[in-house]
Amino acid sequence: MRGAKSAKWVAIATVVVLGATACGGGGDTGGSGKNDGIVSMEIGEPQNGLIPSNTYETEGGQVISALFAGLTKLNAENKVVDDLAASIDTKDSKVWTIKLKPGYTFHNGEKVTAQSFVDAWNYGANQENKQQTNALFNHIQGWTDLNPGEGKKPTTDKMSGLKAVDESTLQVTLTGPFSAFRAQLSFTAFSPLPKAFFQDPKAFGEKPIGNGPFEMDGSVKHNESISLKKYDKFPDASKIEVKGINFKIYSNQDTAYKDLVAGNLDLDITVPNSGLPTYKKDLPGRTIDEADSGVGYIGFPLKYNKSFQNKDLRKAISMSIDRKAIADKIFLGSRMPADDFINPIIDGYRQGACGEACTLNPAKAKELYKTSGGLPGNALELGYNADGDHKAWITAVANQIQQNLGIKVTVKPFEQFQTILNDLDAKKYGGAFRMAWNMDYPDAENYLRPIFSTDAIANGSNYAGYSNPAFDKLLVEGDQAPVPADAIKKYQAADDILLNEMPYIPVYFYKMNGGFSDKIKSVKVAGHNVLWDTVKLS
Amino acid sequence: MGRYAARRLLQAIPVLIGVTFIIFCLVFALPGDPIQALAGEKRADPNIAAMLREQYHLNDPLYQQYWHYISGVFTGDLGQTYNGREISELVSERFPVTLKLALTAFGIEAAIGIVAGIFAALKKGKFIDNVVLVSTLILISIPVFVLGSVFQLEFGVNLKITPVAGIEQGWPQSYILPAIVLASTSMAYIARLTRTSMGESIRADYVRTAVAKGLPRRRVIGVHALRNSLIPVVTFLGMDLGALMGGAIITERVFNLPGLGGQIAQSVYLRERPIVVGLVTLLVLIYLVANLLVDLLYAVLDPRIRYE
Repeated sequence: MRGAKSAKWVAIATVVVLGATACGGGGDTGGSGKNDGIVSMEIGEPQNGLIPSNTYETEGGQVISALFAGLTKLNAENKVVDDLAASIDTKDSKVWTIKLKPGYTFHNGEKVTAQSFVDAWNYGANQENKQQTNALFNHIQGWTDLNPGEGKKPTTDKMSGLKAVDESTLQVTLTGPFSAFRAQLSFTAFSPLPKAFFQDPKAFGEKPIGNGPFEMDGSVKHNESISLKKYDKFPDASKIEVKGINFKIYSNQDTAYKDLVAGNLDLDITVPNSGLPTYKKDLPGRTIDEADSGVGYIGFPLKYNKSFQNKDLRKAISMSIDRKAIADKIFLGSRMPADDFINPIIDGYRQGACGEACTLNPAKAKELYKTSGGLPGNALELGYNADGDHKAWITAVANQIQQNLGIKVTVKPFEQFQTILNDLDAKKYGGAFRMAWNMDYPDAENYLRPIFSTDAIANGSNYAGYSNPAFDKLLVEGDQAPVPADAIKKYQAADDILLNEMPYIPVYFYKMNGGFSDKIKSVKVAGHNVLWDTVKLS
Repeated sequence: MGRYAARRLLQAIPVLIGVTFIIFCLVFALPGDPIQALAGEKRADPNIAAMLREQYHLNDPLYQQYWHYISGVFTGDLGQTYNGREISELVSERFPVTLKLALTAFGIEAAIGIVAGIFAALKKGKFIDNVVLVSTLILISIPVFVLGSVFQLEFGVNLKITPVAGIEQGWPQSYILPAIVLASTSMAYIARLTRTSMGESIRADYVRTAVAKGLPRRRVIGVHALRNSLIPVVTFLGMDLGALMGGAIITERVFNLPGLGGQIAQSVYLRERPIVVGLVTLLVLIYLVANLLVDLLYAVLDPRIRYE
């Protein structure tokens, strides 16, 4: 019986240990009482630590935008307005003098000064720090000194174009005129950072100290929640009704939606496809249905696949797509048919700019296809990433093209979005592909240069490898324009080139379809970020 | 028995090395780029991406990467995720959630499964037996995610008895519904296993002897018959503890529990080799220990079994 006895003890010990761990945790929070002013909102787990210059995706960006205040911001109409900046002056769009409003402090009490911006941007632009938004700083003079390239160490850690003239005056010199700079400043990557950040960036990412209307309430609870409370010393704090934000982290949007309907979640700006048919009934009078900044395209690897070279061929494909059916039937109204390369929420968008080329016209399309010489073997392949909800609409587009052009169209799923990007970079994939763009800052320029300029082939998102000197030239002229209205004209002229040549086919504009609980009366979202000063509680 | 346990534990070492290597190769073979994934849907800056690849040895051949990883593990360093978090920290954050969920499910399936099995065996062919047989058949045939979604809608959204998702309310409220869902299939198997094995032992000679001796029915069933019939059940339960820890992927996703299952799924998706290998190794360890415990428990249940 010796063996049996000790085995018994092992078993008992195990049970005790297991029991102890099982009962160890657990709190008793939750159950949102009415009008405590705390709003819970759905996000996904941020990709990186919460550092403004290392956050290039919308989940972490949502939190950063509540924690930090930048020089400019978007208002409810998606217009750029001054936030921390009292004034932003420039004569030539190259040298910018920015005066700060007084009275802003970081959540640890440190004053926000011009130097806080200089230090933060120098950090973000330095390749040694490997920040995701590094390239956004490349208009600032001295950026190349901090980015000598792989295997080389930068000789300085300061950009020559940045100067804190005094405590409240910041002077920025760009490498050339860039009229969209003021709009660019509204992106969270351009937030200031306190001194505490530089001592331990990693710890900062877990419990960031911002300068915005909300401060961290405890550290990030990974995959669970991020709690924020109102920072009472924020100068505009009185305008904000919300007392705290509880970002609940979901790995599954369907689950978040169920939580919203059950009343356990207050705000969700992305209703999943499964909820779209019913969300207006599930949440009567409590839905968000507005334009969003994204554009969805079909792209072509022009760089190395000669068969797509003819622009009439690309137009023929475009004209064989029934955008309205895709937006209404496949996406149940959560997309809008695209009729420009510039998104409708941006100044410079022209309704119907694409005209005939973006309108279904099978007869004309067939004719264009014939005169253009057609595709080899009359076969087209459409690639898409299977990790997003793209299969349905890509298949529908494929069917439409097949039917309307009378050619053979097949779809090809890729495991991930990254797989397509890598295959395109390696010139391995020759078919057409699904692509999308979401703005970094609200300016027409942001829908053109990062995607279609020659520079963007190496440093941006120009996956087509499209290059047109006339287009590049118009962008530069737009950058140099002294008044915004003139800049827009130049950018629209550049846009016209795209509309004529169709390096990508714009298919739809994204919309924001969300909902909120009865705790909230109204809410505005701009540039995918919730504007917390517009949230009214009931 | 100590020597037996030690030998079993030593055998675990080559198993672990082999498993980590196989998993490493499998994740390595997946297409996709972990550094690109860090930038979300935007393209990662080529210069920065190249530097990150260098930092995490992603340009090295497979065997070198594996060597980096495994030598780190032996010095107690599980490594870092590609966004710079310590994996050990990640494990300690997520492990308790999965452990709580798995143990709750384990308790539910053991208690309900065994009791239902005993009743079914004792009332063979009667009404209660049929109820058990039909209900277990239903449980086995419904996929977990369907059951999860239905329960979530019914108990969480409509009746509001339990939370819909998340672990905000702690144990047991937040765990009870996912645990039931997770336990459902195994519970059905255990009920059927107990029923069969109990059905055999109540006809065995030693049970007839016990009854002839005039022992109370409670003691005959509870000690003489049940103890012996539990051996296959315990074997199943032991295997199942490991399966519960690893198989929680779907349940954790449906109920948004931040546990190991969800992390493994996410890490495979993001091609985070070190995390996948680390977590799977942990699961293998749990399997090995659970199996050892099961083997040791045999001696408690049946004194005739010896380890020398």
